[in-house]
Amino acid sequence: MKQKLDLDEIVVKYRPILSFRIKKYLGHQNPDWEDVVNEIITNVVEKIKKGEFRGESSIGTFIYTISSRRIVDYIRQKSKTLKHIPEPKTFPAPELEFENKERAKTLADAIKKLKPKYRKILYLYYYKGFSRNEVAEKLGISPRRVSERVDYAQKLLRKIIKK
Amino acid sequence: MKKCNFNNLIDDYLLNKLDNKERENFEEHYFNCEHCFEEMVARDELIAIVKNKGQLIFADEERQEEKKEVFFIEKIFSSLTPKQWAYAAVSVALVLVVLLNVVPLLKKTPLPPFFLDLDKEERIRGESLSLISPVIDIKSVPSQFMWAPLGDNVDYKISIFFNHKPFWTATTKESTISLPEDVKNRMQASGKYSWQVKAFSPQGILLAVSPKVQFKIISAE
Repeated sequence: MKQKLDLDEIVVKYRPILSFRIKKYLGHQNPDWEDVVNEIITNVVEKIKKGEFRGESSIGTFIYTISSRRIVDYIRQKSKTLKHIPEPKTFPAPELEFENKERAKTLADAIKKLKPKYRKILYLYYYKGFSRNEVAEKLGISPRRVSERVDYAQKLLRKIIKK
Repeated sequence: MKKCNFNNLIDDYLLNKLDNKERENFEEHYFNCEHCFEEMVARDELIAIVKNKGQLIFADEERQEEKKEVFFIEKIFSSLTPKQWAYAAVSVALVLVVLLNVVPLLKKTPLPPFFLDLDKEERIRGESLSLISPVIDIKSVPSQFMWAPLGDNVDYKISIFFNHKPFWTATTKESTISLPEDVKNRMQASGKYSWQVKAFSPQGILLAVSPKVQFKIISAE
């Protein structure tokens, strides 16, 4: 019973992490990602049940390693049939990622409400795609300051959204 | 919550700026660090929104950027002193003069080649040589033949034909030649004559050829 409870916890905890990594490698619009995640989870559960996880590494690293093998297998398998290895899609995710469009709108409105100095950072860094150093140079601040402002902007956004 | 050391890699990971080893290390890390994973998901959402809805969100910033560019140009112009303006104007004028004079020369389309058929076998390309006199029927044997000079140091070869057959030929550096008395005496009235001049360089290269002009000597009765 204890083992079952642990497994449930593991599945609940690692499914989103696995999904994130697999989608990054396979592409967000690749319909296979969910099957691959399910296969990995099944594999992980089986291995734990068989006692193959001996605690030599953390459970996170154990699952990470299994997922790495599966990603390699997937790419090999696809490259045999597609000739071209599917390139991991570049982030950010396309609009499909926003299942909750309402949330996306809220977040967009929240960015608009940010002070200009935070909005400017997001504009240059994420929207225009300048490097951290380039943004720093444009704004006359240090690259470290750029990261700090991005972090702070994110904190502010969380607060605005929670209101 | 205490900030994790890997936190700084979140952006680079999401923006695909890590090399393979760094990426794998970070991935293994977020499988073990709840905090980094949460931060990463939130940051990913933020980046996705910015990328997808940036045009609407940053309309003001875009306008400012455009204004900045215009302002930069205006600033350059407004920062010039009258003296600098004068220098700039002279420079622009000089550039225009050069452009207007040199570029057309460079781009000048070559004139269609001039061909002149000497006979059935021979055709030359070059400028024509103009004959001045005689070019019409004349009443007496001409004492002098004249053509337009082509320049200094040119050898001219004059050929006179009678009934299309060579009658007399001579070379000179002048653009005129007087017929020797014996030739004049041999020329007959009522005959069909023609003449032609060829110009040669000192090295003997043919430079120009005149058309063959016919004339008649009409006896004055």
